[in-house]
Amino acid sequence: MIPKVRENILQHQDLIIEDWMQQIEKFRTDESLQSISASVYESTSRDFVHKLLLTVEENEVSDEKLNQFVERLIQMGWPLNYITRGLQEFRKVSVKVIFQETDNNEDQFRMIEEIEEWVDEIVNLLVNQYSGSWENTVFLQKMALKELSAPLIPVFENISVMPLVGTIDTERAKLIMENLLDGVIEHRSQVVLIDITGVPVVDTMVAHHIIQASEAVRLVGAQCILVGIRPEIAQTIVNLGIDLGKFPTKSTLKKGVETALRMTKRDIVELES
Amino acid sequence: MRIPILKLHDYLLISVQVELDDQTALRFQEDVLEKIHEEGSRGVVIDLTSVEMIDSFIAKVLGDVVDMSNLMGARVVLTGIQPAVAITLIDMGIVLDEVPTALDLEQGLERLQLELEG
Repeated sequence: MIPKVRENILQHQDLIIEDWMQQIEKFRTDESLQSISASVYESTSRDFVHKLLLTVEENEVSDEKLNQFVERLIQMGWPLNYITRGLQEFRKVSVKVIFQETDNNEDQFRMIEEIEEWVDEIVNLLVNQYSGSWENTVFLQKMALKELSAPLIPVFENISVMPLVGTIDTERAKLIMENLLDGVIEHRSQVVLIDITGVPVVDTMVAHHIIQASEAVRLVGAQCILVGIRPEIAQTIVNLGIDLGKFPTKSTLKKGVETALRMTKRDIVELES
Repeated sequence: MRIPILKLHDYLLISVQVELDDQTALRFQEDVLEKIHEEGSRGVVIDLTSVEMIDSFIAKVLGDVVDMSNLMGARVVLTGIQPAVAITLIDMGIVLDEVPTALDLEQGLERLQLELEG
């Protein structure tokens, strides 16, 4: 930033701060900011404008303190809106100061341009920081989802269960298939029970994925039983004309386990006391 | 390249240990049928544990071998199909519908016994 603009801004610091605080108070009514108490809002805003002025004073856009401040805002869940609007107001207020300072049109124009550039750069920086933290969060959640996605649990010798919870999309279906096949080989399962109790909707696509998975399982040399078919799921499956006749289906996991035991020539017997 | 075919009592054991190309597959088909005729076998186990790739032609040949052997009175069980191979086959729309499968040689032989009894 050219020294003249800096001087001007720094000279009228107090004016800018007061003006800015007034402007920012207007956003207070925003829905996302209403939960924040008045005193915290005031002190944070004051902190914010001080940090902004600090970047001007040190003539360094990527100021460590500003970064830390924004990091804190992100952690406390302040909306990005607050930052961008705050910076817009900062620009307006600074421009106003410049206007008061000089009457020369050319000078004014140059200085405004200078401020614009300065503020834009800070906006870019902070928005990047925000989106970076979001992307990070999304990534972590995706990983967590993946880990929860499709475990194969061996319950008896040669019998495994894969409980499915939540909607199944193509990406997840692929993961399910891989886990299923690798698990079958690893646990030497002869029968795999796929439990869809926790799957909210079974449409043609989901059914297609399940059929494919069970056919793949058959190819590697095991058998699939589809369990946990709720009445409404049975209705949709029939109404959609999906043919699940190729492999056995059972209403509950319990019945599925019994069938699986029978298929591997075992049975549950009650002990005589 | 010929694939060795072993005889065990009434059964034939075949472990495919090379990547199958079209020529080998066709040769293999002939050899298996010839052997079934020679030995009067009742069952065949084809183990595919070390096969890492099956294309549509090989899949068709394998399906044919199964059908042809059935015609000659020998049941065929495919064993040890790898997950990656299974996924490729399914993706290509090849389901090998009527072919019995098993996890490994041991279970394959059990399965064969079951098929022959039933």
